Amino acid sequence: MTYETLEVWAEGPVGWLVFNRPEASNAIDARMFVELEAAWAELEADPSVRAIVNTGNGQAFQTGLDVKQFATDPDALRASSRQTRDFALRMTSWHCGVTKPVIAAVNGTCAGGGLHFVADSDIVVAAEDATFLDPHVSVGQVSAFETIGLIKKAPMESVTRMALMGAHERLSAARAHQLGIVSEVVAASDLRDRARTLALSLAEHPPARIASIKQALWSALEAP
Amino acid sequence: MSYEHLIVERHGPVGWLINDRPDVRNAMNSAMRDEFADAWTELDHDPAVRVIVHTGNGRDFQTGVDVGEVASDGIGMERYRQSMEDFDVHFTSWHQGVWKPVITAVNGICCGGGFHWVADSDIVIAASDAQFFDPHTSVGQVVAIEAIGLMKKMPVEAVMRMAFMGRHERMGAERAYELGMISEVVDPPDGLRERAQELGETVARNSPAAMAATKKALWGALETGLTDACRQGAQHLVSMWGHPDQAEGPLAFAERRDPDWQPL
Repeated sequence: MTYETLEVWAEGPVGWLVFNRPEASNAIDARMFVELEAAWAELEADPSVRAIVNTGNGQAFQTGLDVKQFATDPDALRASSRQTRDFALRMTSWHCGVTKPVIAAVNGTCAGGGLHFVADSDIVVAAEDATFLDPHVSVGQVSAFETIGLIKKAPMESVTRMALMGAHERLSAARAHQLGIVSEVVAASDLRDRARTLALSLAEHPPARIASIKQALWSALEAP
Repeated sequence: MSYEHLIVERHGPVGWLINDRPDVRNAMNSAMRDEFADAWTELDHDPAVRVIVHTGNGRDFQTGVDVGEVASDGIGMERYRQSMEDFDVHFTSWHQGVWKPVITAVNGICCGGGFHWVADSDIVIAASDAQFFDPHTSVGQVVAIEAIGLMKKMPVEAVMRMAFMGRHERMGAERAYELGMISEVVDPPDGLRERAQELGETVARNSPAAMAATKKALWGALETGLTDACRQGAQHLVSMWGHPDQAEGPLAFAERRDPDWQPL
């Protein structure tokens, strides 16, 4: 597949999925909405890829749905509305059933729907100047899937605070590290190198074993 | 409505619920327990109130059930047996189904039953001299509901340690912050209420209806597994579709003005 909104490639055993709409803070437009599913499927199917790094080009990591663009594309809006209503989204590795380990490398602002990719990955590293916020309620929207995912993985109060403060407060990378939302904070210029190093060490393990561990641990989140 | 053991105030969009038995460290007697049910409902039903702050008068936030009353009136803990067996209790915002944002501002000591209001609120801040401990096991009582609530929201080991150390160890505000039990430490301590009001006013700038639906989605997630929680979350998310706030939010943003939200 030829991608317009993502960069997708394999570098030895490391698969890269990079948001590539830097002029729009990597917001998900109708095209990216479709390309994400294809990209996760491609990296999952490529036998040379044993670990996947997900990051963004430009200043932001990911800032959620590009609502303005969707408003101009009724078919895409209908499709995304249906997937939202039925919780049948195909945006993240978890939605798409990826069995390989996924490392999110948060390179800058991660806002709203961008939190999906933090909640749904296995390992999260961040640049020093990365920030996290959830502006949904400040524009009259409900925050649900991405904050539900975070609640299952991190201290809840920090997540409810982020959801209710909306656009008016950001969580720093340092605080996200303290809370265990991310496990490592590095200089922005070192982020991709560090993510690659982590991915290479994951790639040394037998893929079937990694896949079964991943399945076992994520299944544990399904218990009430 | 007038209260003997609580103070209910309104400051702009922020409703205040203040524990007011400072002479007994805000311990909860039967009358106060009943008043809580009314006070949460009063603030929840007032359309002018968009956010609720809960704190305590005097040196301490809250120290659980009033053991003086329990020990002296011949009824003892039996008075609470039926309500506990049925888990038919009404003294926190969660018990009362309050879907407005609730901010707990912990002043001084929060111990034992005081954790109910830490576990059951959305945002928790504390004064730098706040202290947390759970003395139940030191006085022959079982720790259950409030610790269960905390375990769902923060690292379990810290909660188990508090439960078993009883009154013999206290956790400071800084450690509670590190663990994510609270999200802010206010120093000096006497700035606590000012900061809580400021936070409340900030939260009040967001859509009341969107926040209520978000609260339902997030608190619902504690009741079930990840995928089921997302499916139920979708229902809350979709419940806002067509609501006037969904048009008003982007419009206000484009026009660089504060949104004019529908009251809840």
